[in-house]
Order: sequence, then structure tokens, then C-alpha cells
Amino acid sequence: MLVRYFAAAAEAAGVEEETLSADTVGALRTQLVERYGDTMSRVLRAGSFLVDGVVSRDDARALGARVDVLPPFAGG
Amino acid sequence: MSDQRPDVLALISDQPLDTAAIERFVLAPDKGALVTFRGIVRDHDHGLAVSALDYQAHPDAQRFLEDCCAIVAAGSGLRVAAAHRVGSLVIGDVALVASVAAAHRGEAFAACGQLVDLIKQSVPIWKRQHLADGASEWVGL
Repeated sequence: MLVRYFAAAAEAAGVEEETLSADTVGALRTQLVERYGDTMSRVLRAGSFLVDGVVSRDDARALGARVDVLPPFAGG
Repeated sequence: MSDQRPDVLALISDQPLDTAAIERFVLAPDKGALVTFRGIVRDHDHGLAVSALDYQAHPDAQRFLEDCCAIVAAGSGLRVAAAHRVGSLVIGDVALVASVAAAHRGEAFAACGQLVDLIKQSVPIWKRQHLADGASEWVGL
């Protein structure tokens, strides 16, 4: 599965994208915190995931071929 | 057809926003009230002096902005348009323009407020804030 990182998430990961495997949003969340520690944990606390074009914070949500890691939105 | 998507204008741009063009899109001969919100880069945040902001948008941000406009247009029956700027902005630059036109002011004020709330909450845009002391931080973390 392709994981794409944006803004603060890309900074926390040190890469813009990579390939990881996880079945659900919750499993990916756990894996990202293990991999990248506190900085990623801060991003994910109020962040979300874009799965199949839909923004999700549901740990049970199944993942497909691509997921985007989205820090908290700060537009406007 | 009731499931027809309302005609809206939504734009993400790295160029200065054209407020007049956005307002022209929502205006019509039956509209007596035009409300435009402009979000402007300010020189302070949580008590610290801010010198500049860098905005980044997700590649699908324009679709999310369109959805916000369509939700408000469908809910209010009004003409709705919005544009968000990305890139490096300085104090006084316009980051967001959101316009609604209605027959009367009450519904235009209400719908414009709802539109701005929705945009801030649901469009994947991020900003890095450069502080006057040289430090920088992502907003919202």
C-alpha cells in the first residue's frame, strides 16, 4: 500500500511517500507512531486519513491501495 | 432533478485571488445582498509575532472546496463561490475569499458564515507559520 504524507506528516516521516502494509486505519496509526515517534503522534492526534477519496478518523476503516496521512486542516 | 449538483465556483490558486471575479460569479439581478469574507494573513498568533505564512494544499483540495460550496448552495438555495490561495504569503495577503449572494442580507450573512466554517473544517490545506523570532511551526498541531 502506498502511504503519502503531507505537510507536517511529511516532515515527521522525513519522506513524502513510502510503501507499508496495514489492513486498517488503526493498524496504520499504530505502525506510524512506532516508526516515527512523538512528532508523528502529534500530527495524528488531531489528524486524519484520506482513504478512497474520503477523510476518515475511524480506526476500523479498511485500507486499499493508497492512503494519505493528513495533519489537522488549517485553511482560511 | 433534486440530485443535481449546484453550480458553484471553487478555486485553489497560487496567484493573488480575484475577489471581484468571485463576487461576479454569485451576483445576479435578483440578488440584493452580497456577503464576502476575506481571510487575511495577520501579524500575530497565540501571542507571538508572525512574519509570513506558507500554505500547502492536498492535490484534491479543490474538490473538497467545491463540496463545501455545493453543500452550502444546496442547503441555502443561494449562489456560492470560494477561492483559497496557496504558496508563500505575507502579512496583509488574502488567503481565502468566500462569497454568497442572496435576495436579502440575513440569509447571505448566515450562509457565508456557514461556508467559512465548513471550509476551515473540511478542506485539506495546511499552513506553516514563520514567527518574527525566526522560528516556524505548523498551525493546528
